[in-house]
Amino acid sequence: MIRVDRLSKHYPDLRRGEVVALAELSFRAYPGEIYGLLGPNGAGKTTTLRILSTLLQPTSGTATLNGYDIVRQPAQARRQIGFVSASTAVYDRMTAWEMVEYFGRLHDLEEKVLRTRMEELFDRLGMQEMRDVLGAKMSTGMKQKVSIARALVHNPPILIFDEPTVGLDVLAARSLLQTIAELRQQGKCILFSTHIMREAEKLCDRIAILHRGHLLAEGTLEELRQQSGQQDLEELFFRLIQEYEENRQLAVGA
Amino acid sequence: MNWQHVWLVFCRELRDQFRDRRTLFMMVVLPLVLYPLLGMSLFQIRQFLQEKAIRVLVLGIEHLQGVEPALVEGGQFAAGLFDDPQRAALVELVDARQVAGFEGAFSWAQKREQAKLAVQAGMYDAALYIPPDFAQRLAAVREAMKARSEQTKHSGQPASSAEQPLNQSPLLLSAEPIASDSSRFGKGVGQEILVPKPEIFYSTATERSQLAYARLMEVVERWREAIAARNLEASGMPVQAARPFDLQKADVAEQTAFRGAAVWAKILPVMLLLWALTGAFYPAIDLCAGEKERGTLETLLCSPVDREDIVVGKLLTVMLFSMMTALLNVGAIGLTGWLLLAQLPGVGAPPIWSAVWLLMALVPMSALFGALCLALSALARSSKEAQYYLMPLLVISMPLAIWPMAPGVELSLGTSLIPVSGVVLVLRAAMEGNGWQALEFLPPVVAVTLGCCAVAVRWAVEQFNSEKVLFRSAERLELGLWLRHLVRDRPPSPTAGAALACAVGILLLKFFLTVGMSNLDNLVFNVLVSQLAVVLAPALFFGLLLARSPRQSFLLRWPHSGWKGLVPLGAAALLAVVSHPTAMLVQAIIIHLYPIDPAVLRALKQMESTLCTDLPFWQVLGLMALLPAVCEELAFRGFILSGFLRTGRPARAIFYTALFFGLTHPVLQQAIAACAVGMLLGFLAFRTGSILPSMVFHFTYNALWLSLAVWSGQETVESAGIYPWPIVVGSIFLSTIGLIWFWKWSAPCQAMSSGVLEKAKPFVFPEPLEAVSADMAPAPTSTCIDSDPCLKPECKT
Repeated sequence: MIRVDRLSKHYPDLRRGEVVALAELSFRAYPGEIYGLLGPNGAGKTTTLRILSTLLQPTSGTATLNGYDIVRQPAQARRQIGFVSASTAVYDRMTAWEMVEYFGRLHDLEEKVLRTRMEELFDRLGMQEMRDVLGAKMSTGMKQKVSIARALVHNPPILIFDEPTVGLDVLAARSLLQTIAELRQQGKCILFSTHIMREAEKLCDRIAILHRGHLLAEGTLEELRQQSGQQDLEELFFRLIQEYEENRQLAVGA
Repeated sequence: MNWQHVWLVFCRELRDQFRDRRTLFMMVVLPLVLYPLLGMSLFQIRQFLQEKAIRVLVLGIEHLQGVEPALVEGGQFAAGLFDDPQRAALVELVDARQVAGFEGAFSWAQKREQAKLAVQAGMYDAALYIPPDFAQRLAAVREAMKARSEQTKHSGQPASSAEQPLNQSPLLLSAEPIASDSSRFGKGVGQEILVPKPEIFYSTATERSQLAYARLMEVVERWREAIAARNLEASGMPVQAARPFDLQKADVAEQTAFRGAAVWAKILPVMLLLWALTGAFYPAIDLCAGEKERGTLETLLCSPVDREDIVVGKLLTVMLFSMMTALLNVGAIGLTGWLLLAQLPGVGAPPIWSAVWLLMALVPMSALFGALCLALSALARSSKEAQYYLMPLLVISMPLAIWPMAPGVELSLGTSLIPVSGVVLVLRAAMEGNGWQALEFLPPVVAVTLGCCAVAVRWAVEQFNSEKVLFRSAERLELGLWLRHLVRDRPPSPTAGAALACAVGILLLKFFLTVGMSNLDNLVFNVLVSQLAVVLAPALFFGLLLARSPRQSFLLRWPHSGWKGLVPLGAAALLAVVSHPTAMLVQAIIIHLYPIDPAVLRALKQMESTLCTDLPFWQVLGLMALLPAVCEELAFRGFILSGFLRTGRPARAIFYTALFFGLTHPVLQQAIAACAVGMLLGFLAFRTGSILPSMVFHFTYNALWLSLAVWSGQETVESAGIYPWPIVVGSIFLSTIGLIWFWKWSAPCQAMSSGVLEKAKPFVFPEPLEAVSADMAPAPTSTCIDSDPCLKPECKT
């Protein structure tokens, strides 16, 4: 499971001074559920996910992945996760098979286990015919599949997807979302960030709405609807952000 | 370190590089094709150059009539005047009588000027002017000699007439009028005998003209010798009178296998280093900046591999490529040289066994360059930015590689301690056949190179640990905004960047003022300017502009509340006194390693004696001890040290401060000593959190050297090593105790670990703490391990 406690990230910026990318974010995500981070661009979704994958250091706060602290035990924490994001690219001069094999070995998988695992993954993701295609020659959808295979090869209990459908066509996106749903059924704990309401509505068991690094609301879709009295997620989302901006204006004015 | 991961990363990177066709071409195919082609064209160019004739204008050929032996035969210089008669064709003679502008109507003086202008304009490569009285003067000289010898024969008293021996007589050598003595030269000889004065015009502005001069001189010299021989013959003297001995020369290198090695010993090491660097650079760009750009670095970083393993894996790849590039290129050069250039006179084939030495040197050099390139490449946002770093890297490392090629630079303990240069010197010595000497200096060279490697690797790992570096995105250049931000949001004490700016500013000012004042004699004025304007002014300027609290920036604190603050001050003075023999020992070692140039020593001596004799001692103390103690401490241990300390690495901050402090001293030996003392001063300032102890130490230290110079009458640099050894041993012992005392005393560390100092005492020293919590990119846990032990208790609490 994922435990995030008052996670903050600040960084200095010339124009804006100290920028708060993330302000004391806390949440829990459990095995067998998809936890969605929903927010506009710059809401702090990628920052959160990068901190969880130990690429960034939090300014304050902690997080544990299956009990491993991301700050104190970064290497063990990384073993618990499979991380797929728009910025985790595929090697140009490696074939799909080599790429997945490489990461499997970096996770210290035994050769025999790795082989069966890879065959199974390539079958499941429908990647058998692209085994020997070089990264440079792959389409966006193919690359995304390789990334997912790469993230799944060590069978991690936690999966983190950062806007995985960006740049995919409808068919590829649909099949990807299906794959993610299947992973939930296997009991994985899935963290899924998106700015697309439909995806969040369709896929996520619980949703956190982020804006300017702040958590505006959290809960199942039903809970969110009850809290705000809005049925439509998109409407709900706009309302929350508008409210936040108004309060902020007031605070600045005061 | 997980070697399995390192191996995996290494294999992947290697495969990746080998799949890049361009890399392979640049690395393997190009050198194999390039050098043979270059060698061939060089061969052709050389032939081309050799056969090019020079044009010499000869003005006044008609005045050579009757001169024996002849200079000109058949419209060309006589073939007998060349070493190799075939080379006569390489000098084309142009008779001025056949050239327009030199007709009979002009006077000889005018024609002479004309010839000069023609050479200047490049119409001819050189010109030879034979004056109208050439033949007459020559005949007069010969007559005089003949008459003199006849007179000697008749009188039968050669001794009396030869009061001035012939070979000392300026007769043949001087163009000055010779006062003739009728009793010596006999009757019938004119009152004055003048030797002819032909002239050569050439221009050093063009290389062709210089070559023409050399060739023409060769011809004219031979001609002159032939004439002298004829003169001697006429006067009945043996030819040996003008050639008292015959010089034989023999190149002993020809006997051994080292013939031609000298040339290769100069070319191959430089080539090796150049290619090792280039070969490391491009893969490094691809492996770090390139991966960053393509987004695959993030993929790798979120796998469980440690950053160190990634860096070492990549480093091995870069090293391998660097070595392969260097070997292939140097191999191709060597082969080309062996096949083609060995046929040229004076250049032998490169010795085969030099390959072994080159190979041995290649491994550490590739490691060093590889680590440097990797760190630079990690620092860059994109591969384009990384490309920009190549030039500075080359500019810094190439002089280090080329400098040892200079004549007179020899392998010694001092030179072997210089990174890169040491390796080149050892290689050179080995290839020239001094294998034992090379082996003798191998340990220091290897130690220095490995040390540099370790530092470079650490730097590279740090780059990979720094999220600021890894996730740097393109920023707009907003100079105005940035400057405003610097001043508006300035912290209480300076940032590391501000400290660096101040240090560089001081160095630049120092450079310009030193150049500007080099011919100023007023020493007192010089010292005042170099302390107040060069050192203090920039520190105050940056201090007020870039930091809010002068007290924190310049460490203007009483080391401890109340009278206790006096203790470290006294201790600092005491430490300066007891460490003085040690300092002298260090100075003596430095001078032993890097002997001072006598000219520099004279200048230093003169400066000090002027100061000490012109001024009363208390003024000398004020100028040379108190002023530097205040100015330099405020600038270096104040502003610059407190800035560097914000990086949270006290040891490094102290080192960098000392390094810049050393660099402000113009004489190398002084600079090294200053760097060492600077570290001690930095340590005092850091441990006490106050500038005062280091000021006291600095003053006492300088005052001791000065008084010693005054009392012993010796220059301070020279007086090193005057203490007997028991005192030196005692000094080392006491100094160590002093240092330990300061280590234990340490107000700031106690303050930080207790965490209550902020209120209890106004003199906090919070910079390192802030740095740990806010500025440091790596995990706080690793900071605890990496940084100064003094920070550890804080981390534990």
